[in-house]
Amino acid sequence: MKKRLLTAGVCLAATLLMAPAAQSADAITVAADACAGCHGTDGRSLGAMPAFHEKKPAELKQILREYKTGKREATIMDRIVKGYSDEQLDAMVDYYTAKK
Amino acid sequence: MTKISRRTFNGLLGAAGAISTFGISGCTFGSDRVVVIGGGFGGATAAKYLKRYNPSLDVTLIDAEKSHYTCPFSNTVLAGMNSMAFINRSFDALSAKHGVKVVHATVTAIDGAAKKVVTADGQSFSYDKCIVSPGIDMKWGALAGYDEAASHIMPHAWKAGPQTELLKKQIDAMADGGVVLISSPGNPFRCPPGPYERASLIAHYLKAKKPKSKVIILDSKDDFAKSGLFKEGWEKLYEKNLEWVPAAKGGKVASVDAKGGVVATDFDKFKPAVANIIPPQTAGVVAIKSGLADKSGFCPVDPNTFESTQVKDVYVIGDSCIAGAMPKSGYSASSQAKVAAAAIVAVLKGDKPGVFSAINTCYSLLNPDYGISVAAVFEVKEGKIAGVPNSGGVSPKGANAQFRKKEADFASGWYASISQDSWG
Ligand SMILES: Cc1cc2nc3c(=O)[nH]c(=O)nc-3n(C[C@H](O)[C@H](O)[C@H](O)COP(=O)(O)OP(=O)(O)OC[C@H]3O[C@@H](n4cnc5c(N)ncnc54)[C@H](O)[C@@H]3O)c2cc1C
Ligand code: HEC
Repeated sequence: MKKRLLTAGVCLAATLLMAPAAQSADAITVAADACAGCHGTDGRSLGAMPAFHEKKPAELKQILREYKTGKREATIMDRIVKGYSDEQLDAMVDYYTAKK
Repeated sequence: MTKISRRTFNGLLGAAGAISTFGISGCTFGSDRVVVIGGGFGGATAAKYLKRYNPSLDVTLIDAEKSHYTCPFSNTVLAGMNSMAFINRSFDALSAKHGVKVVHATVTAIDGAAKKVVTADGQSFSYDKCIVSPGIDMKWGALAGYDEAASHIMPHAWKAGPQTELLKKQIDAMADGGVVLISSPGNPFRCPPGPYERASLIAHYLKAKKPKSKVIILDSKDDFAKSGLFKEGWEKLYEKNLEWVPAAKGGKVASVDAKGGVVATDFDKFKPAVANIIPPQTAGVVAIKSGLADKSGFCPVDPNTFESTQVKDVYVIGDSCIAGAMPKSGYSASSQAKVAAAAIVAVLKGDKPGVFSAINTCYSLLNPDYGISVAAVFEVKEGKIAGVPNSGGVSPKGANAQFRKKEADFASGWYASISQDSWG
């Protein structure tokens, strides 16, 4: 009981600290995790798919833009990036590169 | 993720002060219980991501089998490229790494009123939320003469496991010069490009080992997924070993006589050495018995969350659900699982479900060095799951051998990644 109250207190504090609650962050989590079916959980691909958890965000963002314009060759990413805005792609890169 | 990286992440997002409600453990008052039915692509991913999004959830995954044989890459087993062990996934990491309680039992019913799941061996599991991902079942009898007994003679191999082994045994035993006949069903069915990848890989095996033999696809349709790319490849690779007969040319199988070894269309009778009958399908029987399916045999859901429109607090994902433009694939099931898991975590915390976003991808192999693909990004528009305009599509026609080889390598890379993402 005591422990529960304590947890409740901590949670309340956490909730207050985090207000206002964020739709957008959740949306990025869901959108970004959809990429993991190819790039692996947290971007830690084990096979032929590129991993990106240890790469530089600026570089990856640049690559994604180049897939969109056709400047960079791709087998499949050119078709996928067109489903997102540049802001969404940037946020997804940040999501993955922030993972340790 | 540390606090700082979270802040950076949200700063870059441009939503000041925005912080995900995910991943904050210990904030559930009492443990909310989520029961997941099925440990395939949908169920395994859902169980894992529920725990990632909220580690304090009490998540139980129930599967009828001790481990899961994936349909993806089962066609490579038929062609002798991989073993059955290669397509077998254990549930061990789900329990050991992610804290999911794994139960081996067959679910007989989901009682939406009492909010509990009942199994054949008499166990009962209460839930706050339930995720249902039982895949498909065959619609026995929909094709005249094709029932479960017939499938032990003419395998469907549309669920991986003993059916895959039976079909492989028959193909291996066939004498050179024999015909492998594949009957492909009308839409909708599990894995729209699957029958054509299967035909390709069997033809690959025949070309090398039994060159006088042939695969004939009898089709209930006049077109199929990635047909342009398949036909282009077949012309190059399998002119002598593969033939596709569309419905318009009498391809629709009307009945089978398994004991007599006969497959009949309205015009012809075939007596192939091997018959692979892929029959019409429905949602997993347990979903139908639990009142989740409509007249189509599949389960209508809220497209934003995958909550059943027929039974509250029950979410149907994967092949069993009706998901608008998303095809019935392992990638779809796994992507839907994440949307449903996030929605459940949010709702249990008293938040609104997040914004829908999903992907599908399907690689097909025509031989070990020849891959093709389709990809799509999905959003919810006007209450329906639809492809994001001007995105997605199939790989280019007329691509060179190097490109096809790359896609074949990425097909294997995809399989390694999604296996790890779902069960690892
Ligand atoms: C030949 C072939 C090739 C394919 N290739 C690809 C591919 O390359 N890429 C791709 O994305 N998709 C592919 N697919 C499609 C993919 O297999 C399915 O879309 C995917 O498995 C659907 O996931 P699911 O979770 O709905 O069902 P499944 O993965 O089938 O999982 C269902 C699970 O539920 C369990 N279950 C069912 N009923 C009960 C019950 N009553 N109680 C307890 N447990 C139960 C089953 O044992 C099973 O483990 C292919 C399919 C076939 C047939
Ligand atoms: C179908 C599997 C697939 C999916 C789904 C997918 N990717 Fe990719 N990704 C690839 C492949 C393959 C490449 C290599 C380029 C190519 O051939 O298209 C790649 C390359 C990349 C790169 C460049 C990596 C590098 O080091 O060069 C980034 C960044 C990336 N993807 C991000 C994403 C994001 C973000 C998503 C989700 C929105 C995503 N990918 C979804 C397959 C996929």
